[in-house]
Amino acid sequence: MSGPERLRDRYAIAGIGLSRYGKVPGVSAMAFCLESAKRAIDDCGIARDDIDGVLCLMPAQMGEQHGWASRVAALLGITPTYSSTMDMGGATPIGMLQTAVMALEAGFAKAVLCTFGTQTNPMGIFPMLFGSPWTIPYGDIGAITFMAHLARRQMYEHGISSLDYAHIAVQWRRHANANPTAQMGKKTMTVEDHQASRLVAEPLRLFDCCLFTDGGGAFIVTSAERARDLRQTPALVSGLGQVHSSEVIRPYDDGRGGGSDAGTQAYRMAACTPKDISVVQLYDAFTPRVPHDLVSYGFAAWDEIGELARTGQLTVGGRLPCNTAGGLLSDGHLSGMNHVVESVRQVRGTSTTQVPDVQLSMVTGYGGAPHEPPPTVAYTVAILRRP
Amino acid sequence: MFVIEKPLPAITEDGAPYWEYAKQRELRVQRCATCSHLRFPPSNVCPKCLAEEHEWVALSGRGTIYSFIVIHRPQHPAFQEDAPYNVAIVELDEGIRLHGNVVDCRNEDLHIAMAVEVVFDEVKDGVVLPKFRPRRG
Repeated sequence: MSGPERLRDRYAIAGIGLSRYGKVPGVSAMAFCLESAKRAIDDCGIARDDIDGVLCLMPAQMGEQHGWASRVAALLGITPTYSSTMDMGGATPIGMLQTAVMALEAGFAKAVLCTFGTQTNPMGIFPMLFGSPWTIPYGDIGAITFMAHLARRQMYEHGISSLDYAHIAVQWRRHANANPTAQMGKKTMTVEDHQASRLVAEPLRLFDCCLFTDGGGAFIVTSAERARDLRQTPALVSGLGQVHSSEVIRPYDDGRGGGSDAGTQAYRMAACTPKDISVVQLYDAFTPRVPHDLVSYGFAAWDEIGELARTGQLTVGGRLPCNTAGGLLSDGHLSGMNHVVESVRQVRGTSTTQVPDVQLSMVTGYGGAPHEPPPTVAYTVAILRRP
Repeated sequence: MFVIEKPLPAITEDGAPYWEYAKQRELRVQRCATCSHLRFPPSNVCPKCLAEEHEWVALSGRGTIYSFIVIHRPQHPAFQEDAPYNVAIVELDEGIRLHGNVVDCRNEDLHIAMAVEVVFDEVKDGVVLPKFRPRRG
């Protein structure tokens, strides 16, 4: 084997950690990075001095604070032989996992800490003025407008409805209600609540949107052998894939569903098919992303989405349990770090909405700058295996 | 009193002719001198063939609505007074897709595939935004 298949199951996520998260004012993004990193180190019991790689997701809303990963390393007393700050938006957590695996395979590091922290209030910079002269003067600003266009096309081309989105949001909320750390853990939601929530960018409503979350997450990647000697069941990295779409409004109309190539790569590396996946964490920054990923990654056809959402097929006991901690919609928006953490929990058997007998646990990422022409979107996929 | 104004197009070397033509009530984009690809957004390098040479050619200004949204909670305070307002993605007959507001049309009458044509809105002295309105007849 000369391709990435040769790396199948050779590296593992050994440790995971989430900081406090939710509405947590007065804590810096850096403090969340450090807190989650400490928890990941404690989780697996690795010696701090055994960590020689540090990756960090660029906290974009903090402005031009360069060298973020190096600062994290310095404040943890780590002197990395390999470090980088990465910027693929919500695709970055899995992007960091892939980069960590490559650094380990190449021998530039033996254990890589991947981390992220964000503080939404106050943000370091005025967040609305990103972007482009081709959209902003028309008042088409922010991620939600692009997602609203995506929803409009899903409704037009595939008959998806706002009610379908409601059933998805409500299912995720039930998962959050079982998760004691979820930001919306104590708040229930009904389909009627979703439909009564205010319109933000029609056809999307408030409850189609993810949360604003302060907090951080971290995970530690090392060889499968080293991970076995640590405290937790290793989550073996079986499959990885990424693809970058850059045509104008491409995810609507390239006929393959944006990101499907990332899934194909990951399935090939893991030598599995969508039917083999026990549980998946989908990048649900907005509800329309869920049908998109279900179709792109081969879990469902467009005309099945409504029924899957309505009949409880997206939870334990159904066809494909998804977003079992509550997702970005109801657990919290840690740019998908919490999705990686939850996918590891499913491998370990420690989720608060645990799927029985998990063999393969999948997680997807999505990010970049989809809201300005030419929209550039990174899709990432990871498949984790229980040893 | 402190007034938050609507953001205007940031003019760069690549895009300046687009806005200059808009001031003259013309919708023009770059056509690659080598492969004839119509470039949008404007760029100094053709994404198809990497050639730099190009000419600015006039478009029909006619197209159909590819997608539209109605914004109730603007992400920028200067648009608050307009809400709810629409933004459409219009697919021009030449294949390029442009964002723009659809004017002279109620939001509830918008629909995908609606035939539209370009109009030019001088939003401030010397700043003209191409927008769209329903095509009639």
